[in-house]
Amino acid sequence: MRDFLQPFGNSALARRTWLQLGLGGLAGGSLPGLLGLVQQAEAEEAGGSDPSARRRPANCILIWMDGGPSHMETFDPKPDAPAEMRGEFKPIRTNVPGIEICEHLPKLAKIADKYAILRSVHHNQGNHGAGNHYMMTGAPPRIPVGCGAFVSFHPSLGSVAAHERSAPHGLPGYFSLPGMTRSGGPNFLGSKYAPFVVSDDPNSKDFRVRDLALPRGVDEARFRARRELRGLVDALPRIDDPAAADPVRTLDGHYEQGYQLVMTPEAQQAFQIEQEPDAMRDAYGRDPFGQRLLLARRLVESGVPFVTINQGGWDDHSELWSNLRKRLPPWDQAVATLISDLDDRGLLANTMVIALGEFGRTPKISTVSGRSSPGRDHWSSAMSILFAGAGTPGGQVIGATDRLGHAPIDRPLSPENFVSTVYTKLGIDPGKHFITPAGRPTFLVSDPTPIRELLG
Amino acid sequence: MAFFGFIRVRHLRLLVRAAVGVGFVIAPLSGLAKERVTTPEPAAVPTFERHIMPMLTARGCNGGGCHGKSGGQNGFALSLLGFDPEGDYQSLLMQSRGRRLNLSAPHESLLLQKATGAVPHGGGRRLDPDDEDARLLLKWIAAGGPRDPPGAPRLSHIVISPEPRPLEAGETIPLVVMAHDTDGSTRDVTAVTAFASNEPVIVSVQPDGVVTGGSLPGEASVMARFMGHIATWNTFVPRAGRIHADAWSALPVNNFIDEMAWRKLRALNILPSDPVDDATFLRRAYLDAIGRLPSPEEARRFLADADRRKRDQLVEALLERPEYADRWANLWADLVRPNPYRVGIKATLSLDTFLRDAFAHNLPYDQFVGELITATGSVWRNGAAVIYRDRRSPDEIVMLVSQLFLGVRLECAKCHQHPFEVYGQGDFYGLAAYFSRVGYAGKGLSPPISGGEESVIVKTSGEVTHPLTGAVLAPKPLGGNAAAEPVEGDRRVALMTWLRSPNHPTFAAAAVNRIWAEFFGVGLVDPVDDFRATNPSSNPELLAALATKFRDNAFDQKRLIALIMKSHLYGLSSMANETNAGDHRNYSRHYRRRLRAEMIADAIDDVTGVPSNYAGAPPETRAARLWTHRTGSMFLDVFGRPDPNQDPPCERIGDATVVQAMHLMNGSHLQGKVSSDHGRVAALATGDVAPEAIVEELYLAAYSRLPTDAEKKQVLPMFSREGMTRRAAAEDLLWALMNTPEFIFVN
Repeated sequence: MRDFLQPFGNSALARRTWLQLGLGGLAGGSLPGLLGLVQQAEAEEAGGSDPSARRRPANCILIWMDGGPSHMETFDPKPDAPAEMRGEFKPIRTNVPGIEICEHLPKLAKIADKYAILRSVHHNQGNHGAGNHYMMTGAPPRIPVGCGAFVSFHPSLGSVAAHERSAPHGLPGYFSLPGMTRSGGPNFLGSKYAPFVVSDDPNSKDFRVRDLALPRGVDEARFRARRELRGLVDALPRIDDPAAADPVRTLDGHYEQGYQLVMTPEAQQAFQIEQEPDAMRDAYGRDPFGQRLLLARRLVESGVPFVTINQGGWDDHSELWSNLRKRLPPWDQAVATLISDLDDRGLLANTMVIALGEFGRTPKISTVSGRSSPGRDHWSSAMSILFAGAGTPGGQVIGATDRLGHAPIDRPLSPENFVSTVYTKLGIDPGKHFITPAGRPTFLVSDPTPIRELLG
Repeated sequence: MAFFGFIRVRHLRLLVRAAVGVGFVIAPLSGLAKERVTTPEPAAVPTFERHIMPMLTARGCNGGGCHGKSGGQNGFALSLLGFDPEGDYQSLLMQSRGRRLNLSAPHESLLLQKATGAVPHGGGRRLDPDDEDARLLLKWIAAGGPRDPPGAPRLSHIVISPEPRPLEAGETIPLVVMAHDTDGSTRDVTAVTAFASNEPVIVSVQPDGVVTGGSLPGEASVMARFMGHIATWNTFVPRAGRIHADAWSALPVNNFIDEMAWRKLRALNILPSDPVDDATFLRRAYLDAIGRLPSPEEARRFLADADRRKRDQLVEALLERPEYADRWANLWADLVRPNPYRVGIKATLSLDTFLRDAFAHNLPYDQFVGELITATGSVWRNGAAVIYRDRRSPDEIVMLVSQLFLGVRLECAKCHQHPFEVYGQGDFYGLAAYFSRVGYAGKGLSPPISGGEESVIVKTSGEVTHPLTGAVLAPKPLGGNAAAEPVEGDRRVALMTWLRSPNHPTFAAAAVNRIWAEFFGVGLVDPVDDFRATNPSSNPELLAALATKFRDNAFDQKRLIALIMKSHLYGLSSMANETNAGDHRNYSRHYRRRLRAEMIADAIDDVTGVPSNYAGAPPETRAARLWTHRTGSMFLDVFGRPDPNQDPPCERIGDATVVQAMHLMNGSHLQGKVSSDHGRVAALATGDVAPEAIVEELYLAAYSRLPTDAEKKQVLPMFSREGMTRRAAAEDLLWALMNTPEFIFVN
């Protein structure tokens, strides 16, 4: 794809001009790829002279580990901790000398040069509702909220991405699979920027992305007939004068976009996961999580700026090690495959892959849950985040926790720093402010300082 | 102009635009028009309040994007737009170990060095060293940074001249703002006044106060703000061209609404659209009054009825329907319904029950508000008390009460002087003091379950203090001249007495305005809960008359609605004529709106004949009957029902979106209902009903009208197409009907 563009120079404007000449003359390139390029070109132009947007705006796949993964059992092993804290797992070496991660992440260990590990993000919200809110929005909740709470006082990363960036050809700008995370909503931006939720399982045989593809029982011929019929029964006169701002004309535009999305085979490819070769589907893992990551790759390939994969179950107050022995291997396989696959396709340079939960877990092993087999409890003073792609220098660990994993001893970082980094890579100025419908100016991030080591 | 950098201008513009919802642009302050400033006492020593504060404001130093934001900028905090001179003086003189103001070496003062760009300043260079203001500042520092002497004249108010009058397109008028001081003296402060127009396309205002009529007809309000004082200049631009006088005398007048609406349109030189046909009126009336579509039988009957008074009869009949209560309770549920994860599910149900009961019995509005405001008792037994379970402190409840029942948004005034209003913290906490003795007994909040029973009680003590001065504030009505006075017993009862009093400025008007907007799509004051001098009503005469009528009719909502629906104005077509396409505020045509989420969900159920089953609700429950947004429904979410997880939870989205179009076009929701074996299509297609009758029935169900002959002619051949079954043809037709704007919109 890139080679096609070379003769026309590499500037955004040149690329866009070229794209405007028409898509038809291009043989071989896939439309989803092209759609993404159009969007990139537009975003680059929009970036202007703002330094934070100078880099090509990247898309983002955010892997949410709901419940709060243990940092000691993933990316911050503590082999020297005393027995009551150490846990059952050992560290293994990665392909980057000096970096060690959990032994149950062997596939990620082989590609540590492709991602960075953040070990020093910390905050003060120790329950799920609040921790989720802080990490998903970069803002702490304004009032105390409980563990089970689903709250939103501020727009989430994905909703802001959908608001500030757009996906081509009527594709939603923010997907969340299989559900929205607790605080993954739009808040004052309005429900137009809520995530497009695809709850169906892409690992099942008859998977379809709801609404964006034809429903069962309606084939293309019947859809065409219905569309024609709709034209016949649509009798409401439109108000021609643009000064009237007829909302019906706006709806007309939405239907046109919808038709286009449904009838453009190349656009539909974004959802047709069954077109992936078996080997590729196997590599991601034949389970809902693995196939969702694969679907996420197809979506960002088509130009969707933000996809969240919301995976629950990381709240291991008890039976931590037996649970993780089962959960980590497929997770490791899927995430490592995603990073490698994006890299092989040349997409990693323009796609963030981030994995995190709302907090880390207590360094001290706990039986608070009352269950016979121990686990670890909530611990927001330390957590680990995997961060790859979009120019992130790989093979580095940023920050460090103390010998036991209690708290950062080097380069302490905040959720604000984390979301500012994501925004910067999305091409969105983290220092910008929005006005709420109530008229209150609200900063996107209160401390808009990105993590410099990740910017590259 | 060069001094008025990007940050300030952008910030103010955003602030102002947001405050009125749409398209509101403020002009940056002028730094050029210095020659127009009459320096009050040229030879005297400048003082802080009189000279320095206006300068800081005019230069953007204390704007919300700079040092005026909460916490300040880079350690230097000023009050937003200078509402707190005391604190600002402390900040300048006492903090930073005297570096901001260096009294022994005035030139070295950081304030001056930063402002003139002599040392790096994040906000850029705000002051030219040779500028008159820079000299004034230096002189002030050299004099020891004096404040106004005690007893010095203070700013009393500001006045805009000349008197407001209509503008023609392209016509300009320079506004002059005079500050009146307490000693009776006046001074021209135009050059240091901020100006903004609420409709800059219609009337724009330049930084120097020059207003210009635009090419679109309509009205606008120009705001001037100087040191926390606000004045407005309301004007309008009539449409050019002539309308024959006969056109006006021919307009029907059903009641005073028409009379006053025509009067306004005549001033604007705009003619109203033609009236709608019976079918359009029928559908509009059903949806607006009771939130549902007429059944095909009801539509057939109404269309065939030859009685000339049938529209008025329809209005009366609709107001007696049981669905009326649900439709209006849902409006209020949007406004007061709490997040069940916070207050508990039982309390949420309890509040919902109170609302439905109130509208089922047509509880007079003042009593409805009274039950909410003075609520006591168990939140399980008295749903009205739940607003106190949700809003647990005087400053939380006062924002709700002022916005809902006074139509005044007070959030700003909690922390600082309202940027577009007369209200400040004293007003906010004075009003909050009515709620200082609300107490709680029993089990409070323990999210996410909050399962315990709690009672709202009235305590015998409890005060509200001013956050800056710490002074105890007595309850004080907002605005007006009413003095704070001691209140015996439940302070909230005194608040209700004030709200009910016949001369209350907004209580009845805010209610009338909210109801009006449900029928016309836009409030006479818009947004409906934002009454202020800088956001005037599009027809003050009409709003006042409606409010008076409402009060005279003992706050009877049904009588008010009947009055509105029987006006000729309500029955106007949505199509524009040659004069009124650009009208969005004066109801000269009906404004189209998408059906609300619950209405369209129920309409689909009714038209397809397939009820939805909502989780946790009894079978065949209508969306209009759902009492918590926690009831899962992708359809309702897509169509923008409020999300209770959002804070505040009452944002409802009324726009049409691509996702909605896709959900109707391809969603399994609609497809499943259209093709159901138990729905309307199956029933029609499996019998021996003639295709023509099927078409008629589906048109009546979806559009509330019969198909025209031309439409029948176009649609019928499909039924005899080869390979097409009656069932499939009927399914496709119903799918098509429900995917058109004629179905999706209230026309």
